[in-house]
Amino acid sequence: MAVGAPPPESPPTVRTASLRKEYGSHVALDDVGIEVPRGTVYGLVGPNGAGKTTLLGILSGLRRPTAGTVDLAVPRRKVAVLPDTPRFDPWLTAREVVDLARTMVAPDAPADRVDGAIRAAGLEDAAGRRVGGFSRGMLQRLGLAATIVGDPELLLLDEPASALDPAGRRDVLDLIARLRGTSTVLFSSHILADVERVCDTVGVLRAGRLLYQGTMTGLLSGTVAPEYRIHVRDGVEQVVAALRAQPWVRSVAQNDGPGVVRIGVASADDAERAMIPVLAGTGARIASVEPEAIDLERVFLELTS
Amino acid sequence: MTLWRLEWLRLLRTRRWIALAAVYLFFGLTGPPLARYASDILRRFGSGNLQITIPPAVPADGISNYIKNASQIGLVVVVVVAAGALTFDARPEIGAFLRTRTDSLWRILAPRFWVSAVAAAGAFLAGSLAAWYETVVLIGRLSTGAMLAGMAFGVIYLAFAVAVVALSAAIARGTLAVVMLSLAILIALPIAGLVRGVGPWMPSELVGALDALARGAHAADYLRATSTALLGGALALWFAVRLAARREL
Repeated sequence: MAVGAPPPESPPTVRTASLRKEYGSHVALDDVGIEVPRGTVYGLVGPNGAGKTTLLGILSGLRRPTAGTVDLAVPRRKVAVLPDTPRFDPWLTAREVVDLARTMVAPDAPADRVDGAIRAAGLEDAAGRRVGGFSRGMLQRLGLAATIVGDPELLLLDEPASALDPAGRRDVLDLIARLRGTSTVLFSSHILADVERVCDTVGVLRAGRLLYQGTMTGLLSGTVAPEYRIHVRDGVEQVVAALRAQPWVRSVAQNDGPGVVRIGVASADDAERAMIPVLAGTGARIASVEPEAIDLERVFLELTS
Repeated sequence: MTLWRLEWLRLLRTRRWIALAAVYLFFGLTGPPLARYASDILRRFGSGNLQITIPPAVPADGISNYIKNASQIGLVVVVVVAAGALTFDARPEIGAFLRTRTDSLWRILAPRFWVSAVAAAGAFLAGSLAAWYETVVLIGRLSTGAMLAGMAFGVIYLAFAVAVVALSAAIARGTLAVVMLSLAILIALPIAGLVRGVGPWMPSELVGALDALARGAHAADYLRATSTALLGGALALWFAVRLAARREL
């Protein structure tokens, strides 16, 4: 077991059951049950209006659910929240903002932890500046510094890298990745590459409902039908006809150029067992057979469309 | 950086203290001279056909001039300054920053209430002392006991007014809405005091206490209003915490 990793039997840090939130007649969340294992990074993805911010608001105690339960396995004071567009009193300096956060959640923590948090967020050059002139990206970095300064056990981050440039996003994702094992992180994002890069567990929300929850590997392999790309030198027609006759083949397309056949299959197991014999039986010249990569974007679009 | 220092810096760096001090000091410094030289001023600006006769100024007139002006404009400034501090949910991101870092809303509210109230009281006392000094120099002596008691009643009223702003900030969210609601409540109180027998109990009675005491009224006449202001202020703060805790961001 890695240093700082939780014991395998430890309960999830966050568990919700049958969570429902209504705003008048609009149902923002419906029967949402998530489990965030301790010490992991959980990515919450979904299109605009899916209910991500509402869910984070309920978990952070800023909103009340209409029905359902929320169980946090950490004390409230060890939960840190970062809104998607953090704002602070503009006449405070960055260091004062982070120090205020420290004194509110960890008054006994040494003051030099403030500079450590500012450095970790990449704001050391602007620590003494008033935040009124900060860009949105700098405010997001400052919000992150104020979030980590109290050494929280659970971080709820709403789109923590949405306003950052590529380098800033990489820094923030690296920071989140470093927290794995010592803290539990739940963050929402529109940027699927970010989720794919750092998350152990993923939850997919659409229109207030949780469509998928599980490991990233499970999401990539279990929710979208596998596809294969076959390059045929000659005899494409025989290949297409033979594949269409197979019960495990769901779709056959020739949209990717001459001699290229793309097939969708019911399961990778069936395809890997039967495809080569079928292709060999056609007598066609086969240049290559390769599985199509399944990325989170494709899975996300298929799940949420 | 504590929440108390945060409020102190808010007063200093946003220069709100200047607005408070300027209003009360201005009326404190100009009230007694206007009372002393009112007849001269009117004579200079009046026409030859109209003659206005004003009786010679007495010491209480200097304080009266100060209270009449400062109690209205000063109260508006106090409400605006207090609303700026107490409407921490007006910007939900700031509200979220504060609320998610404490289990108790009172911990957020208390420094905002006390610093606003102390600043308002300080400005009022500075203006009162200026008016007192100028009155003594220009018109005549005032009873020290009456002045101290009157200033204490004024301070209690301003603390009550700030508590009303805290309650308004728990009901409304935007700063302008909170200012309007607070002023509506504070203006409604003296109107309610017109009901027979209710007036002496209204906290708004304390506004004119300094003036009345300078004219010879008894401090005991204001004990009922004082008790209502203290009780009402405490209740306003209690409800403010309860209502703010129920608010969703």
